[in-house]
Parts: sequence; structure tokens; C-alpha cells
Amino acid sequence: MHDLVTTALDAARLAGATYADARVVHERSENISVRSGRVDALESSESLGIGVRVIADGAWGFAATHDLSTEAIASCARQAVAIARASALTVYSPVRLAEVEAFQDVWEGPCQIDPFSVPLEDKLAVLLAADEALRVPDEVAVSSAHMGFLAVHKLFGSTEGSMIEQSYTESSAGIVAYALGDDEMLPRSYPNSHGGQAVQGGWEAVLALDLPGHAPRVAEEAAALVSAMPCPSKETTVIIDGSQVGLQVHESVGHPTELDRVLGDEAAYAGTSFVTLDDLGKLRYGSEQVTIVADATVPGSLGSFGYDDEGVKAQRDHIVEHGVLRGFLTSRESARAIGRTSNGCARADGWNRIPIVRMTTVSLEPGDWSLPDLIADTEEGIYLETNNSWSIDDKRLNFQFACEIGYEIRNGKLGRMIKNPNYTGITPQFWGSCDAVCSAAHWQVWGLPNCGKGEPVQIAHVAHGAAPARFRNVRVGVGR
Amino acid sequence: MSSLASAAAELARRAVSTVAADEAEAVVSAEDSALTRFANNHIHQNVAETGVSVSIRAVVGTRQGVASTNRTDDEGLRACAEAAARAATVAPEDPEFRGLPAPMPVELRDRAFESTRRFDAEARARAAAAIIAQSTERGLTAAGTVSRTEYAVAVANSHGIDVSEAVTSVKSTVLAMGVDGGSGWASWLGGDADAFAPEALGDQAATLAQRSEGPGALDAGVYPVVLAPDAVSDLMDFLGYTSFGAKDVYEHSSFVADHQGQQVFSELFSLTDDALAEETLGLTFDFEGMPKRRVPLVDKGVVLGPVTDSYWAARLGLPNTGHALPAPNPYGPLPLNLEVAPGDATIDEMIKGLKRGLYVTRFHYMNVEDPLKVTLTGMTRDGTFLIEDGRLTRPVKNVRFTQSLVEALGSVRAVGNARALIGPDEGGATLVPALLLERWEFTGQTR
Repeated sequence: MHDLVTTALDAARLAGATYADARVVHERSENISVRSGRVDALESSESLGIGVRVIADGAWGFAATHDLSTEAIASCARQAVAIARASALTVYSPVRLAEVEAFQDVWEGPCQIDPFSVPLEDKLAVLLAADEALRVPDEVAVSSAHMGFLAVHKLFGSTEGSMIEQSYTESSAGIVAYALGDDEMLPRSYPNSHGGQAVQGGWEAVLALDLPGHAPRVAEEAAALVSAMPCPSKETTVIIDGSQVGLQVHESVGHPTELDRVLGDEAAYAGTSFVTLDDLGKLRYGSEQVTIVADATVPGSLGSFGYDDEGVKAQRDHIVEHGVLRGFLTSRESARAIGRTSNGCARADGWNRIPIVRMTTVSLEPGDWSLPDLIADTEEGIYLETNNSWSIDDKRLNFQFACEIGYEIRNGKLGRMIKNPNYTGITPQFWGSCDAVCSAAHWQVWGLPNCGKGEPVQIAHVAHGAAPARFRNVRVGVGR
Repeated sequence: MSSLASAAAELARRAVSTVAADEAEAVVSAEDSALTRFANNHIHQNVAETGVSVSIRAVVGTRQGVASTNRTDDEGLRACAEAAARAATVAPEDPEFRGLPAPMPVELRDRAFESTRRFDAEARARAAAAIIAQSTERGLTAAGTVSRTEYAVAVANSHGIDVSEAVTSVKSTVLAMGVDGGSGWASWLGGDADAFAPEALGDQAATLAQRSEGPGALDAGVYPVVLAPDAVSDLMDFLGYTSFGAKDVYEHSSFVADHQGQQVFSELFSLTDDALAEETLGLTFDFEGMPKRRVPLVDKGVVLGPVTDSYWAARLGLPNTGHALPAPNPYGPLPLNLEVAPGDATIDEMIKGLKRGLYVTRFHYMNVEDPLKVTLTGMTRDGTFLIEDGRLTRPVKNVRFTQSLVEALGSVRAVGNARALIGPDEGGATLVPALLLERWEFTGQTR
């Protein structure tokens, strides 16, 4: 791999690049899914290639190829330089990058049992057992069980002298029971929706989830949803479970504090942000209880690495501290624009994409409540669990989330089950209404492997640590 | 045949020949693409990529395994074929699987343009500059993309299927932003770079941005809406994805299951999937090498469909309409070339016919809250206007809707007489007119 990177950097320099970096990325993946007793997918894939990013004439250019011959890599680097020179036709100020130290290092993520060494038969056995257990209640019309594995080995090199080799393994798994009601399909998932839980780790992480052991409970809850009460339409107190709080952080704190969005770089596709540069240190983002950090050093998290894809060392940085905006997620270019150094959030989706500002592990710090105490402290409201759908405007202000399941809270106790609950709000107002966050005992990192951004689109694997939290005066039952 | 398509076809044949299994299929996707992205009135990202991937499906009895790779040398293909065959020996028997399909005649289209292959970085930068100038001359800020793609797909299998096709496309999107909340959008998609007019596109977005400066508040409630083609395209993509695939119908997760042959929508609304249409883009065969058929999905409000692939056609006793996605495919067959039949109204006539309503340029970040009623939530974006007494009176800040599409399409009052080709440029596109709907529920507004 080192020779490939060196070839690219040399060719870029020769062609006139004033800066270049190159990334060789080798990915292997395996994806297995079972649906209603039938194997839906049993596949493996492999991808290897190189991407070369350059600055020439003060502008960016990038080219990528799967052809790793010396001639092809040199040609790719020259193409990147030619593209940069074309970009310069519209550039009014040259690209400038925040300083970064040059590193020669090797980093490896945690993995106890290599999932690619586990026989397919063992994996299928787990999924088939879980899937079968999901289909016991008559109300469950469709069942599904899934697991996926990804192994990444990559090398980053730059003309500034970095040469960084990193490797990690990701494992994910989950189950869903779909109950068929009167003109409605009601999903119930474990341990989370949209693919389950995803971590940096190996087969041990999948075994720890015990999918077959949880399937009967999940199936019963799905069946019970059929006769559950609809979500009332009103303003009330909500207690939201950790997985949904994690997604709330993702959409309404993570994305709006990506500095490229704040600067307008993503305006036409993902959108901009309600947050402005002037808000730093001033904006009341949430209540005193709301402290949010971006941390690329959390062990076993999808948002962790040794170095980002610009060679910046992994960091932990405050984004919101006791409700006040303190920072942004940055890349070298965006950080330079506000006179800061990068906090290491530039990540690329494979060899054929450029690094852009992405989340790492962006987490709501735990508070000090136990969940039973928090429910007991709530006179009237709704407890919500597990995301079902999500939507937010292009400035990340007006959001609406639907969950799989809810429960009435009356006089400090959980009551009747609620189906199809949803809630809506405006970001700073919503976080400002947070008056309690549960403790570290309830705090968990939730992997989110499907974050789309950029053009051509890139899918990032990020994560969010969160515990259940309480919010006052929230509108629920929208359009119900 | 283009060189990209012929190379893909040769690679697919080679891949099939390496597989030791009862049946084998190879799908090769090759791509040569570039995208120039601009924001804050200058190009800030500019990328190009060449890539190829080979996906091999091995069949042993009724067991299937799939493996894919982008290593196309003999060793890479052999490893990929072995991984697919190994998976096939481990998979349980699937008694519903009737084997890979046999060859059928495919109507190939020449959808690759030399002008698009020549649309290089400098030409794209000039196009971006022309778009940007329309905004900067008016004190606006422009963002968007100018991209070109050539992709080829080849499918071969051990029963003799051997088809390949190349498609080129140029896609451009423009967002123009004003100083007081104004925002305008325009997009263009076509196969031929020579037909692309960047100045006109930049002008369209900038004009809309100027007109939408100073947006105001709007009360939540049910309004008649005029939806521009970009907004209609968003809705049709969700309708096709959630409802008209055979798997969704079989699993009863689609309203089609219980309403086939019934009048569910307005008589003014007809929806077809047609990859062979002259105006559209995309492949004319599916990812099993089967010819894509023209499939009426809604005929004057009556629900028809669904689309199928070889597996779901056999399982449901329906004809194979040629809508397979690459294996393995947990989604089932899907329509990728939707088109709404045109009507006879202009957008101006739709607006003139309304006492009070909203005009929506496009939607943002939609998601499904209820797949059976196709209840969607999402925001409006880049040009939302109040209509009063037959004219656009004032821009409004983006509003949130929570609305069943099944119900809304029952209230179509007029269909536009002009259609636009919109959407992803790979695999298909959506051909849609503007629509006037009697009822659309707005449930909130952003600041």
C-alpha cells in the first residue's frame, strides 16, 4: 500500500500540486438477512482502490480509481490536478488548510473474534432461530433478522509527511417483527430499528445481543401494538429512550454544528444550518442539562478512529456545554476559516470519495436520574421508544420523529401502550425544554451506519451516546 | 456498442465461466463519472471516478449465494466466484426459487452521447460559472452541481443471457439564496450535454429566489396545493418505493394488496413505469437481464401493478415485468422509471383556479410514517408561496406536512401539460408534470 500512496503523491507533485493526499482503502463486507423464514441475502463483497486529493492553482481536485497499476495511479493523480485547475476558474480565494502535525502511525480498532472467521452456518443459525421466534404470535405477519460485518484497512499519506495505517472491524445485528393491524403495519425492533445495533468489534458483539433470546418479547410487543391506543394529539411531557435521544442528537445537534453546513458548503443538497459563526459561545442551544461532546476516542464506537481522513488525530471536543454552543465539527479547511485547528471530523466513505465534515461519536452527556425515578417524577406524559421515522428541515430547526412504541405516563407510572407515536418541535426550543437526563448507568453508545451527506452521496458510520431524557411541552400525535 | 458496455459484457461472460455451481449469473457495473460542486458562488469540490464492480450469484439446487468485487483480474474473479458458491452451499433450500431466468429479447436503446463523454472538468467549470453569474449579478448566492456520468451494466448467466447497455447523463442542480430568506431551485437531467443550458437554469433558480425574499408565517391547516414537478417527483419516488413492488404487495405492507382493480385515486391520475419511453433515462433490462416491460400502475385512478422480477413473478403467478434489482435484493422488485400521464393545465391556470392555496417548488427530507396509507412527513423548500385569488401573493417560510399520499391523490384537481425528467440519473428517472391537489395537510412551520 505504501508504494501506491507514494506513487500518487509523487505524480501529483510533479503535475503541479501544492498539496496532495492519497488514501488506499480496502474493504471487505458480509451481509446476511433472513425474512419470514427465507434467507433474503447471503453475500460478501470486496472493494479496493485509491483516491487522490490535491490543491493546485489554489483549488481542490480529486480523482479516484480502482486500477492500482503504477500508470493508472499516476494518471489519476494528474487528472486530480487538471480538475483542480478547472476548479480555479471560479475560485476567488485560494484554499487554505489549518495546520496539522505530520504523523507516521498505525491504529487498530477493537475486535476479539474476527467475524469473517466464523462459519456462515453459525451466523445463519442465530438469525434463523431469532426469525422463527419472532413469528410465534398470529399478529406478526413478517419477521426479519439481519447481521452485517465490515473490515476496513486503509493507508493515508500526504505531501506534508503523514503516513497513517488504520484498520478496524464493524459488526451489526438486529431483528424486527412486523404486526399487521387494521390497515396498518406496526414494526417492533431489537436492539434498535434500521438495522439494529452497530459497533466497532467482532462476533462477540453479535453474541452479546442475544437476538434469539429477545425475539419472544419483541414479537409480543409487536402483537400488542395492534390493539394499542392511538397517539393522542396534544402538548405534553415526553421521556425519550436512549436510542431515540441518540437520533435526536444526530439530526438536531450533530448536523447543524457541522461547520461546512454552517459555512454554506452543503446548501444545495443537505442544507445549511440555523447556527451561525456569531453564535459560538453565545447561542443558548439547550437547557443547563444539555452537554454534548464529539468524541472520536470512545472504544468500540462506529465514530472512533486513530486519525480522520485528513490525518488529524482523534479528539474529544465540547459542542454544547451546559446548554451553550461551544464548538463545531470541523475539517482542516473549515477550521481554518474560523481561525481554529481541526478537531478531526473529516471522513470519507471509501477510496472514491473526498473527506467531508462528518460526525464522530456525538453524545449527550449523562445526567444523574435513574429511569424509574424519572418516570415516578412525571405526573403526566408519554414514554417513547425506538425510532420509526425521522425528518428535519434544511436549517435543522423543525423536526418530526415517529417512534415504534409509547406508553402513557400517569401519576408517575407507565400506563397503556401507544402505537405510532410521533412528536415534533423546533431545535433550540426542544433542547431548552430538557429538564432531566438519566445517569451513566442508562447511557449507551448507539451506532448509526446510514448517515447520508454530500454529492456524490456518502454514507458515514457514526455513533451517539445517550441515556433517556425528559422534555417538557412537546407536541405529540401530529396528523393523528 | 460503447467501449464501456463491451468491456462490461466481456467481464460478465468471464465471470460466469469461473463459477462452479448449478447455475451462475454475473452483473457488471462500470462507471466513469465526474461531479463539479459549487457553493458560495465558487467551485469548492470537484471529483472524478472510474470504477467497476462484478457481482456473482451462484445457485446450487435452490440455494443462492452472492459475492461481489472490484478486482477484475483472474484471481479476483476466482475468489469472488468461490465466495458466491460457498455461500450457496450453506444457504438453506428455497423451494419457491425456480432458478435463474432464460434469455428473452431485449429492446436496447442508444442512450450514450459522445457530447456527454466530452463534458470535461473545464466544460463543467464553465457551466458552473454561467449558473453562478445569474446569481451574483443579482446579489444572490448560488450553490449546486454540474455532473456527467457514463455507466454501463452487463448481465450474463449460465442459461445464455448476455446483455449490456451504456447510458450517459448530465445532471445539474441549482440553489440560489437571497439575503432575506429568499431561496430558489432549478434542476436539469438529460442524456446529452449539448442540450444542457446552464444560463437558463441559473436564471430560473435566481428568479425564484428573488421572488421568495422575505417569507412570512402561515397557519397550519389543510390547503389546496400546486406542486411543481420537482415536488411531484419526490412524492412519486416514495409511492413507487413503498407500494408497487410485488414483495410489498405479497407482504400486505402496501395498499395495492387490498385495492387492486379499485378506483382509489382521482380519474385524472395515471402512473406508469416505462423504461422504454423516449424521454427517460436508464437501462432497458433489469439486473437479471430481463426486458423491462411498460407496466401501468394506476390507470385513471384505478390501482394496477405490481412490478415483478423472476422470483416474485413465479411466486405470485404473475408475468415477469423485468424489475429486478441486483441480487441479493431484500427490497424486492421496484419501479425505477415512473411517469405520470400529462394533463391539459398549465401551472398558471392551476394557480388562477385557486381562491387560496399554496405553491410548492420542492420537498425536503421526507420520510414514511405509515407505509400502508403512504403517510409522509417532510418540509417544503426553496420557493413556497401563498396563492390568493388566483395569484402568488407572498412567499412563506418552509412548512411541514404530514399527509397520506393515498388520500391526497384522490383529490387531484388538475394535471400539468408539461413534464420534467427528474431524479437520480443512475438506474432510472421520474417523468412528471405539476399537480393541483385539493387537500394537503400542513402541520407546522420552521422559523
